[in-house]
Formats: sequence, structure tokens, C-alpha cells
Amino acid sequence: MPCAMDLPCTPDELAAQHRDSAGLKELLKDPSRWHSIPLLNYTPLHKLKDQTLVRFRGMIQDMMDPEIYLERYEVKSPDSSKRLQDGKFRDCLKLTTGEEIDYHAEGNVHGERRTMFVISVPGLNEWSKDHEKQCCPQIELVPLAQSPSSAKKRTLEEQDAMEVDGAGDTAVKRPCMKDMQTDEEPGAAPNSSVLASEYLLNSPLPDRPSMACMVKVYEEFDTYQLNTLVDFVGFLSVDSSLDFAALDIGDCENLSELQAAHPSPFLIPRLHAFGVQMLPHANPLMDLSLRQPIEASEEAEPSQLAVHKDLRMLLKLCLFDDDLAAEYLLSHLISSVYSRSEMQSIGKFALNLCNLPKDCQAYSTSLYDILKLLLPASHYLPMTLETLNTVSFAPKKDYETNKLVSGVLQLAPHTHLVLDETRLQQGKLEANGVHAVQHLAHLINNQELKCDFQYYQIDYHANIPVLVLSEGRSMLPSDFVMPINADAKAVELFEESLKAAHHYLQPARLHQFRKYLTTARISNFSVSEEHTEMIQQDFVDMRKANSKSNADDLHGLLVLSRLLGIARGRDTLDKETWQLATEFEAKRRQRLQSLPKAALTRN
Amino acid sequence: MARRDYAQDRESIKTFLSEFCKCDDDGKKEFVYGSQLVKLAHREQVLITIDLDDLAEFNESLAEAVIDNCRRYASIFSDVIAELLPSYKQQEVHAKDALDVYIEHRLMMETRTRNPMEQRDERNSFPAELMKRFEVGFKPLSTEKAHSIREVKAQHIGKLVTVRGIVTRCTEVKPMMVVATYTCDRCGSETYQPVNSLSFTPVHDCPSDDCRVNKAGGRLYLQTRGSKFVKFQEVKMQEHSDQVPVGHIPRSMTIMCRGEVTRMAQPGDHIVVSGVFLPLMRTGFAQMLQGLLSETFLQAHRIICINKNDEISDKDAELTPDELEELAQDDFYERLATSLAPEIYGHLDVKKALLLLLVGGVDKRPDGMKIRGNINICLMGDPGVAKSQLLGYISRLAIRSQYTTGRGSSGVGLTAAVMKDPLTGEMTLEGGALVLADQGVCCIDEFDKMADQDRTAIHEVMEQQTISIAKAGIMTTLNARVSILAAANPAFGRYNPRRTVEQNIQLPAALLSRFDLLWLIQDRPDRDNDLRLAKHITYVHSHSKQPPTRVKALDMNLMRRYINLCKRKNPTIPDELTDYIVGAYVELRREARNQKDMTFTSARNLLGILRLSTALARLRLSDSVEKDDVAEALRLLEMSKDSLNQIHEHQKGHVPNTSDRIFAIVRELAGSGKAVKIADIMDRCTTKGFKPDQVDKCIDDYEELNVWQVNMGRTKITFM
Repeated sequence: MPCAMDLPCTPDELAAQHRDSAGLKELLKDPSRWHSIPLLNYTPLHKLKDQTLVRFRGMIQDMMDPEIYLERYEVKSPDSSKRLQDGKFRDCLKLTTGEEIDYHAEGNVHGERRTMFVISVPGLNEWSKDHEKQCCPQIELVPLAQSPSSAKKRTLEEQDAMEVDGAGDTAVKRPCMKDMQTDEEPGAAPNSSVLASEYLLNSPLPDRPSMACMVKVYEEFDTYQLNTLVDFVGFLSVDSSLDFAALDIGDCENLSELQAAHPSPFLIPRLHAFGVQMLPHANPLMDLSLRQPIEASEEAEPSQLAVHKDLRMLLKLCLFDDDLAAEYLLSHLISSVYSRSEMQSIGKFALNLCNLPKDCQAYSTSLYDILKLLLPASHYLPMTLETLNTVSFAPKKDYETNKLVSGVLQLAPHTHLVLDETRLQQGKLEANGVHAVQHLAHLINNQELKCDFQYYQIDYHANIPVLVLSEGRSMLPSDFVMPINADAKAVELFEESLKAAHHYLQPARLHQFRKYLTTARISNFSVSEEHTEMIQQDFVDMRKANSKSNADDLHGLLVLSRLLGIARGRDTLDKETWQLATEFEAKRRQRLQSLPKAALTRN
Repeated sequence: MARRDYAQDRESIKTFLSEFCKCDDDGKKEFVYGSQLVKLAHREQVLITIDLDDLAEFNESLAEAVIDNCRRYASIFSDVIAELLPSYKQQEVHAKDALDVYIEHRLMMETRTRNPMEQRDERNSFPAELMKRFEVGFKPLSTEKAHSIREVKAQHIGKLVTVRGIVTRCTEVKPMMVVATYTCDRCGSETYQPVNSLSFTPVHDCPSDDCRVNKAGGRLYLQTRGSKFVKFQEVKMQEHSDQVPVGHIPRSMTIMCRGEVTRMAQPGDHIVVSGVFLPLMRTGFAQMLQGLLSETFLQAHRIICINKNDEISDKDAELTPDELEELAQDDFYERLATSLAPEIYGHLDVKKALLLLLVGGVDKRPDGMKIRGNINICLMGDPGVAKSQLLGYISRLAIRSQYTTGRGSSGVGLTAAVMKDPLTGEMTLEGGALVLADQGVCCIDEFDKMADQDRTAIHEVMEQQTISIAKAGIMTTLNARVSILAAANPAFGRYNPRRTVEQNIQLPAALLSRFDLLWLIQDRPDRDNDLRLAKHITYVHSHSKQPPTRVKALDMNLMRRYINLCKRKNPTIPDELTDYIVGAYVELRREARNQKDMTFTSARNLLGILRLSTALARLRLSDSVEKDDVAEALRLLEMSKDSLNQIHEHQKGHVPNTSDRIFAIVRELAGSGKAVKIADIMDRCTTKGFKPDQVDKCIDDYEELNVWQVNMGRTKITFM
């Protein structure tokens, strides 16, 4: 069994070696120790044994109520000798035949643990998946024998075992290859009380299903936040007796709730975590805890500035030769909410690229195809009436099953959402559609996601850059509306230029761009005292010149200048960048004015 | 901790129950529990609630012991009561249900069949649970705070805790077996089995002497009539949204209700539950998770439904002395005002007005006539001056509020709709936003975009505070004691200074006059303001937090509680202020006549002044209105008028400076006379929105110019 050096391979080893968790934490600080742990995301379950060391990367989608469990308990043998057994990091009692647990023993210790419902990062693009897969250590297939652990399966009878084996077989072709014909409305089958596996898996993006895992954590409960990216290390637990089907409950009031709380471990494995790292981004290229293939890291890294130039060229090519739009798109691609104060979220850069040429039908998808290659995680959402009216956007609590049913907008930080408004036709927006637009607007304006708990709503912080592609001005709000000045010649040649762009994106270059975008996104930027004063003075002058300019313009300028600076590899604001930002904004405003005005436009 | 002596506790509980008394108003002793015991004995009452406050008064350590080990003491109490009850029986009790008859029969049978020589209590063979026809509940100490669900942890197991939350799900009320009674098919003897958990294994073999000795192998059959059942309901509760930390999912908790505490709440209700936090012993369950997990639940003793409008009996609502001290600083009025929507910069006077709207004036009912105390405010302004944000903030801050937009609501949606039930054909009334916001605030955004006929529906609400319905066989009047906060955009996109208010927002005078204050929020370039705004924004961007202002913004929750506290005050206006108010009003009217005023001054303004000043007194937590309150009310009114009028002044070119304006006031005040009291000048000027130091400066300026002379005591000026 390949196992990390010094890291415990089973709960027993953990109990034997590391009585203190501090030592274990110290071990996990070294990212190279993470390398050889198999990733549950990319290893088929039949290759993994119960109670072995695995890791799982994903986003926290839901949190369940705390569980009280027996941390240590006394076991009575038939010969009336007693021993203490650890209950931490496992789901099942560990008993040999004839042994019995003493529930009332003095030595029993109760502990508390929490279950997180973690799903693999929604909207993770193919290349990131491939890369993570490459980094994941391969495991030799061990013949599927009876697991050596002596765990006693008390409720398991012959017949159940058969069924479970069947379930095990189907589990091999797990969610990723889900056949599409099971398109039933989740949980809608009224006569059968069985919940559909789509419902249990709870993917935010139903057409790009993610894997789910129930992670049990034992400490620092309050550090986990909804919709954040985490990487857990712990022990796998796939005992078949965890399945709802193996339970013997008779008639119970809320069957569906129990079923949702105990899905088949082959569909949703359990992981008892003892180590965790919070991921600041989803880019696998820059994750030290993954074993990077060697060839990639050899080359000398070109400077940020050089990559910036290349990338801008590429985007310009894709945007009908519009240099200004390319600058804005680039800024958008590296934007991130870097601070929140009271009700404002600062750093957001929702971009609306409008004035797209009407005769390039497939333009928006082709543009997305390029973006998809650059970004670790993104999602393309055609804003058709049908999508708006039918798809659920924000998560909603289902009290029948006590699950937070996910929606399209429940995305991990830095997952780009590309909304294609060119697909929108005239028609009737139904109640769901109105809510969808409200949710989108709320997300764009506040970078917050409203979750519906039926009796009230709770806002969760989000960090999802939104790019809206539209012909006219978008009906959704946005921080920056950027009309594209399409060059007539470029419009004609756009198919060729996109082909050229794809050709240009060689693996090595892609690698650079991908790294560049993530580096820029997480880098710091500061403004010196002196420049702050300059900005303040500029704003006062701006107000004098144009009384219509307001606080939002200043916010916009500050964000833009920051992003322009970062894109050029700087870490402080200089006068040049500030002037560049003001210049760009002035140009953009000019373009906006020349846009044909609808009867009732704001601003 | 030392083990408690339960036998001794038992004795003290007995004394407590029989001897505890309170003195009522007449000084007569009232035996609180004694009288309840009599009722229990006569089966007129089922639930006896032990107030732990009383118990603590009687024996403090005992009360603590009850909280720590609640389940045990509940059974001790119940045993003691069962023991005491026969002595409280004053008359023969009539059997109320089948079980009573059953018990009576069994008791009689026992006395007959038993050997009379055997000295034993006839009830002994029956389980105590079968004989007890009452329930015991505890009421927690009044100092006990309601926890949120996430604060209840493993260490609370077995203790009495109080939890606040919202009900998400309730099961049907079902009978639950407490004592199972069986009859043997051979010997006919009866066997009783007390049930303590959610499930039980039925007994099959007859344990009676006859069957055992003879090895007859008698089978037992469950007898429904002789078994005792209690009502049972499982309730699922979830945390309030304000108890959930940022980025977390609300927690939920199961509550088991038995007997009288069932049917107390429905999904959606806000409740405070006191109960014992216990681990759940479900036999099937223990097996299924292989014993490692235990679920927990709250065994409810008391459920109180608090809906948002009720006086929250919750202890959280009280302000602590520390908080009061923090609030009671000199500048609390400014502080409270700036804490409203702290992210919106400036507009202090508007925020002050909104603060008064939240607090509200005092309702008056002289001789059946009703004068509303609620303050209505209309905000106007160019697009993009954060009107909607202000509205949004107020609707979040107010305990009861509704937020609608004018375009999205019809008159029916705002007031009330009569609906026909498709199944029964019955007519039902459904309250609209204004009814739902009764005793709260209704924020209407884009007021100008509302259709005219819909807007007229609001007229009644704004003055009479009721909604009358006469439709399809339903004639009724609904209460809508609501403050309206409206926001409107100018009719032509931007405010046109050359037109009047009505023309600018195209609202009829009848509606406009119903607003106590009209504010025009304008966004004009002004060097100082702009610079401060720029500083603010750059600070936020580079430091990721709000700049440290002189006054720290108060927490929203604290504000809410303070406002709640203010609302309980009912200040009155002392007689000596009447003249002052009347004078001020007459002055207002005169001015409106003289100048070409762009707003209205009507009798409603007088009421408005009264409302604002009572609201100000409330804000000070005072019982009577003071002159300063009235002065501030007048100032706000003046400022709101100014906000509408100053635009016009801008057109004139010559702007008189403050001193000139004050001089004009003094001139006016002097009339034909030569001497004016400075106190009078101060009064008049403050009502006009001038500050005392400005007045002083004016007096000094003009003295230098030898226009007037100030006497030595600085009480009077005389024109030269």
C-alpha cells in the first residue's frame, strides 16, 4: 500500500503514533508529504480500501448538524475482560465476534464532530482536472477481497451483502460518467421514497456533475465556511452498513431525511479528516501540495510584464482588435473581491462586453472556449428564457431532507461566470426567472449569494467574477459596461483569428498564462500616502468638471488602476497607472455616449 | 461536586409546594402552588408549572440543582405531588375519561381481592405513571438568557436550557404510550409496563404468580383501554438568521413535546423553548449507526411563541447597564443618527429624521378622535443618491417592516385583497404590505412610478392609520398603524428648480401634505464634501475597513433594542410649551404667505411638529417634551424646507450670509419696537436652523457696525 512517510495509514496507526494533534499538524505543514496521498477525486473507489489514507479537494457545499459520538468506549469480551477502543476517525464500532460494547461504562468519552458536505470544485475546467489527475499517485489495483479490518458487521446478513456487492459494481462507473437519461426531477418521484442520486450528489451545475464526499471534521469547527475551497486529508470510510438501505428502521416519520443523511457510501464516500488546508485558489499548477510533473517547472519564468503583453495580444485578437476592451477583459480575468467593509465588497469587476457584432453567431461560445483554456474554473451560462425559468440559481433549503439544495450560483471563489445575453429572446419571464435575475443582480452588485431558508434568507459572501456578453447594454447591472469597437475587417476574419488564437496557445504558453492569471489574482497591491492625496485631488477636480460623476466612479477608478497595476507586475500604485486608468475610463465613457440610447436608460 | 441528598431535597420540595406563598396587593397571602394542587386533585388542571424564580427565592441551591439535573428533579417533583394530592382533595371527583373509570375500578378490585390483613397501599402494584394524571413543567429563571442552537453543546446534556429559534417542521400530534397494560389470557391478571423511551418491546409471558408457579405459559395481550397515552409531537427548530455566524449554515434541533406542550407552535413561528437537553436512546438507531453516534433532542418544558410584533419577553432584549452607558453619552442623538446606514456618507439631517421615524411619535386619542403618532417621510432626489440604500437599511433595521417598490405594487397589494378560496368558495382577506407592516415601517421605493389610483389607497392609511374594505360581502377595517417612508425620483429625471415640488414629483398636494417631512437629497459638487468623500473611499480601498470616525457606528442589534426601549415611553407635552409651539406655527404660516414658498404649510405641519418633538423626547427616554425637543423639531422642519428651497436661492445669485439672515430675523422680531431680548432671538433663530454661535457672531458683527447695542448683562439689544 503506498502511503506517505510518517503519516499514519489507518486510524489505528494514528492512535498509536500521534496522541497529540500538534505533531501531526507539523508533519502536514510540509506540502511534499501530501504528494503521495491518493486523491479521492481521481481514484476509483474500488481501488481504495476502507480505512486508508486519502485526500479530497473540493468546495464546502453544506454543513450538517453536529454529531455526538463515542470517542472512546469500553468493550466487553465474552470472557469478561475489558478493553478501551478508540472511536475517533471511524464510523463503525470495532468489535470482534462475541464482544459487546458497554454503553454505561465510566471510561466512555463522548466527543463532538461535524459533517461537511464537500463537492469537487464545481465548474473546474478540463485542463485543471487533467492536471490534478496527473499529479495524483496511481494505485495498483488490489483484488477486491474482504477487507482485512475485523470490523464486525452486525446488521449485515447474507442477502444484504449481495445487494451491497451490486451497489459496489455500479459505484465503479461513478458520477463522472453518469448516463444522461436519468433526467428525472430530483426527488420528485412521489411513489418511490428513494431519492435520486443526482439529488443526493447535489451538484450546483447539473450538466457538469461534481463528486461529493461527506467529510467529518473533529476540530476547529468554526474555521470552515460555506463555499470555500478546502483540501482534506483523512481516512476513507466506505463501510456498506453506512448505507440507508442497510438500516433497519421500520416505519419512521422522516424517511427521506434519514436517507439524505445516510446515502450509500459508494455514491458519496465518507472521509474522516485529521488534516486540512484551505485553498486560496483552484489552480492546480500552483499548488505545492500536488506533485507537479517535472518538465513544466524547468523553464525560466518570463516576467509578468512580458506575459501580460502576450496575453493582451491574444485577447485583442479575440475581441475584434479592440485594445481597450482587451485591457478591461484582462482586468476582469484577474479581479477578485479583496476586502469587504460593511455592505460594500471591494475589488469586484463585473464586466459587460456589449455591442457585440450581430453577425457573428457563435462568437460568445468561441470566446468562452478560449477563456476556458485559461481559467482553472469557469462556467458558461446561456441566458435563454428557458434557462432562467427552469434552472434553480440560488441554493434553497429542503426541510424534508434537511439538505441545502444547490443552485447554479453556488460556485467556489474565483469561478468565472460567463453570462451570454445574446441568447435571450423576447418572451415571458416567469416567477422563477424573475428570482433568477434578482439573484444574479444581487450577486453582481454585492458579491453575495442569497440562500433561501424558506423562513428567511441568508447572504453568503461570494467571489464570482461575472462577465456578461450582450448585443446592447445588458439588462443586468455591472460595474463596467464596455462597448466593443469592432473593426469591420476583424469581424470578417474572426473565425480565422480564433483559429490562430487556438494555434497560438501552445501548452507552454498556456502554462504561462494560467500561472500568470492566478498569480496576479492573489497578489497584493498598495497605494502610497502621496498618491492617495493625488487621487483625492483628482476626484475633487473631476466633480468640478462634471457634476454627474459620483462615488461609484471613484470606486471604479480605484479598482481599475489597481488591476492595471497588478497586470503589469507592480505592487504599488504609480502615477502612470492612475493616469492610464483615468484615460481608459474617459475613453470608455466616450464610447458609452456614442451608444444608441434606448428610451429609458439610466445613468 | 458533592452529591445532593435527594431525600432531603424531597422534603424541602414538599414544604415548598405546600407553603410557598406570595403576598398579593391586599397583603393577603396567596398559596401559588397550594391552590394549583387543589385544581390538580380535582382534575381541573393538568399542567403545573414550577417557576424556578419562586424556587430560588425559597431555596437557591435547590433551584440550581433543578437546572443541572432537570429530569431527575422533574420526577421527584412529580412523586411529591402525587403524594400530596390526596390531602388536597376537597370533594369527590367525577371521572373524566375512560382511564379514570378504569383506575377507579382497579383500585376497588384491589381492595376487595387483597387480603385485608396485608398492610399495604393498594396503589403499589400500579406503576406511578399510570396514576398520575398531571404533568410537571419548569419555568426557567427570569435571568436565564435564550441561547442560540449552536451554543447548546454536549456539556448541557441533562440541564435545563432555553433556546430561541424558528420552527421549520412539526409532526402530527400522536398518542404515545406511557404505561402499557396487558391482560393474561390464562389467569386474567394484569401486568403493567412503564415505557420511557420512544419504542418498547412488548412483554409476552405472564409474570404473575399463578402462571409462573403453574407453568401455564399464559400469553399477554395489550389492552388499549387500560394503557395510558400522552400527546406527543416532534418539532424541528432552526436558528434565527441573526444567530448564524457569517458563512455558516443555520443549525437545527429536534424538540420532543409531550402532553400539554404539544400544539404550541406551527412552522414559521418564532419560539423560545425551555427544556432538558438529552441524548436520544432509540434502540433501532443505536444499532444502525453501530452505537457510535447518539442523537440529541430537547425535551420541552415550556414553549413560548414570540412573533415579531409582540413584546419580546426575551431577556436579550433588555439593555445591559454597559450598553446604556455607551448610549447615554452627550452626543447620542448624533451617534444614533450617524449609525444609520453608516456606509452612506453624510446626510446627517436626513438620518436624524429617519431615526425619529423609527422611534415614532405618540398616538393621541382625545375624545375618540385619533391622531397618529407615526411619522411619514418622503425622500426625493436625483437618481443615484443612495435613496434606495437608505430605504433598504431602514427596512432591515426596523423590527417590523415591508419593502416594496411603487412600480411593482398595486393598491390592492399594498392594502388588502379579498380572495376567493378555490376549494371552499369562501372569501378570505389577505393583508397587503401596509397591513403586514402594522406597527412598523413600510418602505415604498419609486413612489412616483405608482399608478394614481393605487396611490390614493394610501391616503387613508397615512392619516387614519386604517384600511377599510368593502368588497364582495366583506366590510371591515384593518389596522395599518404604519410609518411610510417613500422615495421618489423627480418627474423629469433631475430636479428642476424652476418648478414647484408638486410639479417636480407629480404627486398631488393631498398626498404630499400627509408627509411630515419632505427631503430633497441632492448631489452637488462641493469641494469640502467631495474631498471628504474621496478620502473616505480611498481609505476603504487601501485599508479594507471603514475609517475610524469620531463616532463609532453602533451595532444594528443594539440600535434595534434601544429603539424598542424608546417606543415604550409616552411623553406628554407640558402646557407651558403650548405658547411656544403655537407661536412657532403662526410664524411658519406667516412666512409661507409672505415668501413664495415651494412647499406647503398647513395644520398638518403643526401636528408634524408635535409628532417630531414627542419622538425626540422618546429618544431621550424622557416622559415629557422639553423646549429643546420642539426647537429641534422645528429645525428639522426648516431644514427639510430648506432642502427644497435652497435650490431656488442658488438661482438668485446673491446669497445672503448667515449674519445677514439672522439680522433680518431680528429686524422682523423687533417690529416697530427698539429693544429685543436675546433669549427671544435665540429661540427664533434656532427654530430657523441657525446655531447659537452663529447668532452670537451676528450680534457681535452688527454691534461693531453700530447697528445696535448690547446691554451689559447680554440679555437685550437695542437698535440705535
